[in-house]
Amino acid sequence: MSSSQEESLVENLKALFKDNVLETKLPMSRRLFVAVSPDVYEDVIKFLVKEKQVTHLSTMTGMDLGEKIEVLSHFFGLGMEITIRVAVPKEKPEIKSIVSIVPGAVFYEREIHDLLGVTFIGHPDLARLVLSEDWPEGEYPLRRDYKVQPPKPLREV
Amino acid sequence: MGVVNKVVNWARARSPWLLHFENGGCNGCAIEILAALMPRYDLERFGAVVKGSPRHADILLVTGAVNRQIRDRLIRIYEQMPEPKFVVAVGTCACSGGIFNGCYNAYQGAASVIPVTAYIMGCPPKPEAIILGAYTLVQKIRGG
Repeated sequence: MSSSQEESLVENLKALFKDNVLETKLPMSRRLFVAVSPDVYEDVIKFLVKEKQVTHLSTMTGMDLGEKIEVLSHFFGLGMEITIRVAVPKEKPEIKSIVSIVPGAVFYEREIHDLLGVTFIGHPDLARLVLSEDWPEGEYPLRRDYKVQPPKPLREV
Repeated sequence: MGVVNKVVNWARARSPWLLHFENGGCNGCAIEILAALMPRYDLERFGAVVKGSPRHADILLVTGAVNRQIRDRLIRIYEQMPEPKFVVAVGTCACSGGIFNGCYNAYQGAASVIPVTAYIMGCPPKPEAIILGAYTLVQKIRGG
């Protein structure tokens, strides 16, 4: 066996998306991290789902990196776990939605929109999912600059 | 205390009807409450029956951490209960917030939302502890 399936997928992605593949990491066998630029994010997902038949979206997570907010889509396919990482600037956290390609992403994107404030363009309905209905607009509890404080009690204890 | 009051309290203490309300927890306390009601521990020998409607209940058993989303529902259910009503916070989460204490969406116990008569600590509390709490509350009702 000349190259593993992981390495051949990395070569495949690099040949297709060139400099837009920012970083690839193979920490162990059957585990792959690919950081891509926001411009090709949708195309990378489309390539994985349509060409490579990687259709199982395990979950989507988000992370506050300080200057940027990272959205991670964890796919399972080709015998490995593939994580597509894309970072968006905190001033304008917008990224294209992948719901049209992977319908299962609809709840994950709503959750990330709730907790980190990333707007997914093209999402059918970005209503609140985990936060309460009376949660103030523009406050995102999983951002690092958010001051955590419990809600004020309604009565004296 | 008049004779009528005495009779009413006697009846009330012998048929404390319960309503169990799970706020937003792990269901551990709910399982223990069910265990306390089942024949092995048999809370029903004190006349306690779990009812499906707050309008039929005397005692509200609150379990789980009260969060911002469930807060208004809890208040609404509390207000639907007829007087006199008693609230028992079962489990650490309902008593003080438990491990969710200090979290951005969890209240520090049910007492910061509605008046609580009795607290039963534990994570989850043993059925024996729930029975002791229920018995103590019934004694309190009997006293007037």
